Amino acid sequence: MNEELDSQLSAMFDDELPSEECELLARRLSRDGELKSRWGRYAVIGAAIRAERGVRLNARVAGRVSARVRSEPELGAQAASARHARRWWRPLAGAAVAASVATVSILWLRAQGLAPEAPLAANALGAPASHVAAPSVALAPAILPSAADSYVVPPAPHGPVALVPTPELANYVVAHSMFSSPVARRNLLAAFMTGEAAGVGVVAAAAEPGDEPQRDAPGKAH
Amino acid sequence: MSADASDLSLVRRVQRGDKGAFDALVLKYQHKLVKLVMRYVRNPAEAEDIAQEAFIKAYRALPQFRGDSAFYTWLYRIAINTAKNAVVSRDRSPIEYDLDRSSDESYDIQGRMKDSETPEGLVLTDEIRSTVNAAIDALPEDLRTAIVLRELEGLSYEEIAAAMACPVGTVRSRIFRAREAIDRRLREVFEGGLGRAEELG
Repeated sequence: MNEELDSQLSAMFDDELPSEECELLARRLSRDGELKSRWGRYAVIGAAIRAERGVRLNARVAGRVSARVRSEPELGAQAASARHARRWWRPLAGAAVAASVATVSILWLRAQGLAPEAPLAANALGAPASHVAAPSVALAPAILPSAADSYVVPPAPHGPVALVPTPELANYVVAHSMFSSPVARRNLLAAFMTGEAAGVGVVAAAAEPGDEPQRDAPGKAH
Repeated sequence: MSADASDLSLVRRVQRGDKGAFDALVLKYQHKLVKLVMRYVRNPAEAEDIAQEAFIKAYRALPQFRGDSAFYTWLYRIAINTAKNAVVSRDRSPIEYDLDRSSDESYDIQGRMKDSETPEGLVLTDEIRSTVNAAIDALPEDLRTAIVLRELEGLSYEEIAAAMACPVGTVRSRIFRAREAIDRRLREVFEGGLGRAEELG
């Protein structure tokens, strides 16, 4: 037998042969009975050197497996049919994924478009800020129609809305809370937030007489 | 050179319908797999049966093998699952249970009895071992070191080259020549005398 071929076989057995050479030798190995026997003896030599206890070196596994595999259907045909089966549902799966992404995107965009109003409306109804900071997509449309008609909702700002009152505003509301009615307090809060977001000053008209904001002295108690 | 290229080239051939390539994979791994299964069952005959089943399962599942892991790692998992299932189903059988687990002593006796059913096989295994050991002892030092580092320590050619302070090509040549020398002695065992019992393919 060709010595170079045997040397390649030995290297392939050790996973030390370049993959291109492996491809060629694998083809020959699968057909050449003598080469296959040599390959099998290389495995026996390894097992004997490792002194694998209890393992019979003349194991009949290979012969029996080979006989059973001969009666099995060929894998090439199975793989081809599996590829064919995969081929038809791939475009459908792709379309389904694209549709799902589009639906989620639309819902998300709608929710984003409505979100600036939702906290204000909810705030006007007396809900705690922590509860309205992240309105759900399903909740926002349910709140908004009635909120939009409410007399406590200020005009929608054009610019971005600050959802958290500034410390100045908070101090002011706390300072005046003992002198104002709950309705006036809410009106004032809404007016402040709208006014700040729109870049204009405080809407003094929203407050009751005597509750005029004094932004120059936010910490001053009344 | 990619690790596992050898197995992968054989696997790809099997996937394309070349059953002969699967023989090479079985020949390469049958001893390792039997040894692995023997962690779960005590006698070699049963371990061989389970290893055989594992190989058949692997063959049937090969179309799904994509090469994400090494072939032996994949085969190893199949063998472990097959062995565990075999142990569970054997334990569910009341007769087998009485025979196998009534006591450790009877379990050992049964294992030995099953072994003794194939005395020729045992003798052949012993003869193979002694032949290989004698052939290794007769090897020149550099060939013996190379083959032992490879087979016993599992070192790569590069690691052996570093250990022996020689080029990788020399390591490849030494291992090949060591195998050839051992194989010449081994062929005598398989082709004459007791070798009639089992042809490896």
